[in-house]
Amino acid sequence: MAERLPPRTGEVIDREEELRFQFDGEDYLAFSGDTIASALAATGVRVFSRSFKYHRPRGLLCCAGHCPNCLVQVGEEPNVRACRRRVEAGMRVEPQNVTPTLKRDWLAPVMRALSPFMSVGFYYKTLYRPSWVWKLGEPLLRAATGLGKVSVPKIPSEGFDKQYLRGDVVVVGAGPAGMSATLSAAGQGASVLLLDENGQLGGHLRTTGDTQQRLPSLLEKVRAAGNIRVFTETTVTGWFDHSWLAAVRGHRLYKIRAGAVVLASGALERPLLFENNDLPGVMLGSAAQRLLRLHSVKPGQRAVVMTANDDGWEVAADLRAAGVEVVAMADERERAASSSARVDALSADVPVFWRHTVAAAHGGSAVQAATIVPLDGDGDTQAPRHRQDCDLLLVSVGWTPNTGLAYQAGVRFGFDEKRAELTARDMPENFAIAGRAAGTHLLEHELAEGALAGRSMAAAAGRGDAPAAAQWTQVQEEKAAEPARSAPWVSVAGAGKRFLCYCEDVTEKDLYTAVAEGYDSIELLKRYSTISMGPCQGKMCSMNAVHLCARANAASVDETGSTKSRPPLQPISLGALAGQNMEPVRVTPVHDWHLERGAKMMVAGLWLRPERYGDPAGEVRAVRERVGVIDVSTLGKYKLTGPSVPDILEKIYINRWRKLAVGRVRYGAMCNTEGIVMDDGVTARVGEQEWYMTTTSGGAGSVNEWMQWWMQSGWGEGVQLLNRTDDFAAVNLAGPQARALLQKLTGLQLGNDQFPYMHARSGAVAGVPCRLLRIGFTGELSYELHCPSSYGRHLWERLLAAGEQFGILPFGVEAQRVLRLEKGHLIIGQDTDALSNPIAAELSWAVKLDKEDFLGQRSLIRVTERGVRQRLVGFTVPGVSVAPEEGLQIVALGSNGKRPEIIGWVSSCRFSPTLNEVIGLCWLPSEIAETDGAEFNIWRDERPLAARVHHGAVYDPEGARLRS
Amino acid sequence: MLILNCPNCGERNVSEFRNGGEYRPRPACPREKDDLQWAEYVYLRSNVSGVQKEWWYHRAGCGLWFLAERHTKTNEITATYRWRPAAASSEEERKADG
Ligand code: FES
Ligand code: FES
Ligand SMILES: [Zn+2]
Repeated sequence: MAERLPPRTGEVIDREEELRFQFDGEDYLAFSGDTIASALAATGVRVFSRSFKYHRPRGLLCCAGHCPNCLVQVGEEPNVRACRRRVEAGMRVEPQNVTPTLKRDWLAPVMRALSPFMSVGFYYKTLYRPSWVWKLGEPLLRAATGLGKVSVPKIPSEGFDKQYLRGDVVVVGAGPAGMSATLSAAGQGASVLLLDENGQLGGHLRTTGDTQQRLPSLLEKVRAAGNIRVFTETTVTGWFDHSWLAAVRGHRLYKIRAGAVVLASGALERPLLFENNDLPGVMLGSAAQRLLRLHSVKPGQRAVVMTANDDGWEVAADLRAAGVEVVAMADERERAASSSARVDALSADVPVFWRHTVAAAHGGSAVQAATIVPLDGDGDTQAPRHRQDCDLLLVSVGWTPNTGLAYQAGVRFGFDEKRAELTARDMPENFAIAGRAAGTHLLEHELAEGALAGRSMAAAAGRGDAPAAAQWTQVQEEKAAEPARSAPWVSVAGAGKRFLCYCEDVTEKDLYTAVAEGYDSIELLKRYSTISMGPCQGKMCSMNAVHLCARANAASVDETGSTKSRPPLQPISLGALAGQNMEPVRVTPVHDWHLERGAKMMVAGLWLRPERYGDPAGEVRAVRERVGVIDVSTLGKYKLTGPSVPDILEKIYINRWRKLAVGRVRYGAMCNTEGIVMDDGVTARVGEQEWYMTTTSGGAGSVNEWMQWWMQSGWGEGVQLLNRTDDFAAVNLAGPQARALLQKLTGLQLGNDQFPYMHARSGAVAGVPCRLLRIGFTGELSYELHCPSSYGRHLWERLLAAGEQFGILPFGVEAQRVLRLEKGHLIIGQDTDALSNPIAAELSWAVKLDKEDFLGQRSLIRVTERGVRQRLVGFTVPGVSVAPEEGLQIVALGSNGKRPEIIGWVSSCRFSPTLNEVIGLCWLPSEIAETDGAEFNIWRDERPLAARVHHGAVYDPEGARLRS
Repeated sequence: MLILNCPNCGERNVSEFRNGGEYRPRPACPREKDDLQWAEYVYLRSNVSGVQKEWWYHRAGCGLWFLAERHTKTNEITATYRWRPAAASSEEERKADG
């Protein structure tokens, strides 16, 4: 381990435990606590990935999980950040987007040669005409560019889950400001959730300054408080309305409701644009400090440090202390912000270039030298150029506050030109920003601001008092007096490729081209050039892009604004979003019996229903010739009571109810305000003031909501509506033997005179209290029996036992569909859609336009006045035995080679075993539908199939059997 | 995710509710409306950028349809309350009735 330093205080590795893992096919050793990146860097690995477009070698840039350069594939998991993921024994790590290997990528020279043709937006300009070019180009582009590989069959479907959390105050970021905020909020009695994306609390206290001075006591206090919950390795990915935060830790998604939020997510160090600024070995100063202090890894041997603030000098001092030779310092400033022993000490034996900058890095697959040049007053460079050999080029020229979450929460930012910092405005009252995320850099100021933010947010969440405004003013003033940390310019003039967006391989030149082409507003620029749309979500490039865009437009940073931040702030796996598969399923009281009988079940809405028990044709025959029974417990069932029930029914349904006598049943259909059919079913008047209503299985919930809506906004006087869907089981007994069978189990008078068609009765069947409705969806003599759910299975089994002598069969949904089609009955939702009115759907007989008022009436009046263009009508297909698929189009054949024109569609179609013929329902233009026997063509398998309009039921059109 | 204050149950996550859209009182006598007026009631919405009075239904709760005043840009909800017959004589109603 060539670059590993001797043990140091503050390191997070455990040297006692060695782990073996693989990278790019070779074996490596790590210490426990190492990240993939630190372990590899410790053995001198410099190239971690190949860039998205040009396949350029890329190395560690930020070491903080905020750039795309260290994305690797770990086993089946793509896009893992090597600088964040801890090594586990036996891990198999592979580089991404390499052709074929990381070290020898033959696409790199190809892409270099092609790069002049791959300017910004080139695919919009070159790949669209003629259209086949895109077909050719897309697969090539996809192969050449991209990230990791997803192996779909191997994606773990388990192990992902969700957890709901709640806190008076949620603190995002556990650096000094975040910990200080946490403690002060907790001190006010608030429950606090402290979230941090790193493995340990402390933030930059672990990687800058005197680590031992503050950290231990802060950690101790956080640990000791009872009302603080700490979540490390937890990334907050978005802020949603009403302070709802999403955060991810491994396979778990947290959904957090916050009373108030303190954002203390720190700052991101800002890259500088110069020639070859993406070469491995060019690294942010803070990245080097992380490697040194957390993992005791030397990032290089001979370093050039390029800075514009005092942070860079601390980096240089850290390097020297670790035995790295600092071969040159370049500082963009005239002099240090304040005289310090550190600057003096370094200046004594390192060549220091004040008012200089780096214009270029040189090298093949890693830095070998840097060119240092003088700066003039406008940030332009001058001669002489100074070339300095080095293997590490560290850049510390400024900070971008990590404020994506604040944007999402509605905070807007201005730009303070003097300090080159963003300043927050329009702060919501339960949101605060503290520390480096608020542009505060001096530790004492960060701690003070954090404490104020914590206390204010506790107060916003109703815990304790808010601090006096004067305290805020003081903190703001102190902060404003801090020396500037960020250079006013972000790029150094020069030749060669200067990368602005590492993720998307967009250069500074690309940006200027895009602006020149008219994409000069920052939001347009982003979409056109894809700047800030890569895996880092603009963390490395957004701010620089704003600066460059401002410069290109000769506008200020403030005027230029920024792009909108949207969740997720960090890439998040789809598994974490999906969580566990928790789809609820509803089953009827007879469900287990169906399974025992070997029924093939089908999903119908949330319900599981038997589709068939055996051969559906046999089930159909049983009903037509003997007797069958079907579980219809899924129907919506309602009890309505009160003097005004007829009034509400008259308004909800298109047909009449007022005169329905006690003991009678009637079919009803309902429409929405637009006059579109919503649902249908039968309703019985079971008492003077009591009614029993059923709806379709699918419509049970929506009909309840619909009726409640009208009842709760003025039509509810004198009516009680009770949803009894789950309280009752229901079975339908159908077939010529139904009466004989039922009579075996009940003392009720079942004769056609005592209990005629469309009547309702109550009484015991097989000892079970039942409501009996004599109705006939199937077209046979039939009784629908409703009983309390708990007796459902008992009733069912007794019916089957009693039916044995008649040759009874249970039948499923499939047989029921055939039976109803033979009768020409429509199913709402199957044969109708969101454009079907009852007049077109052959329900005109039920529409009573002369009623006083009902939902849909006004719209239907207009429909009748204007006539309907399409109608639902029955049909037969002579001479075929395979039913055309539902949904097929009906066409008018064009004469001499013209394309057939679509004029309708098949909504239901089955082979009828009773009639030995294919039958169905379809939508046809009225002029065709009106003529019984009219011929038309269904378009099947690219060929017309002749069918014939059929008016009325194909089976028992007079309905003699139901009434028998 | 929004929080709604159900007049019966108190504050709950919006996932318990169904939105019923902008509050648009039904004209008392639809038959008296001409086609244009009726189409306006059925199909047109004000779609305000500002505070909107709208329907919500506590589906996974008490089953109450209630009204909320929500700012469509900020999602701030300033009031929730039950529908009252008084609303039937409100300004809006008269306007809707033309
Ligand atoms: S180096 Fe790992 S994300 Fe930047
Ligand atoms: S650098 Fe990541 S999106 Fe631009
Ligand atoms: Zn409620």
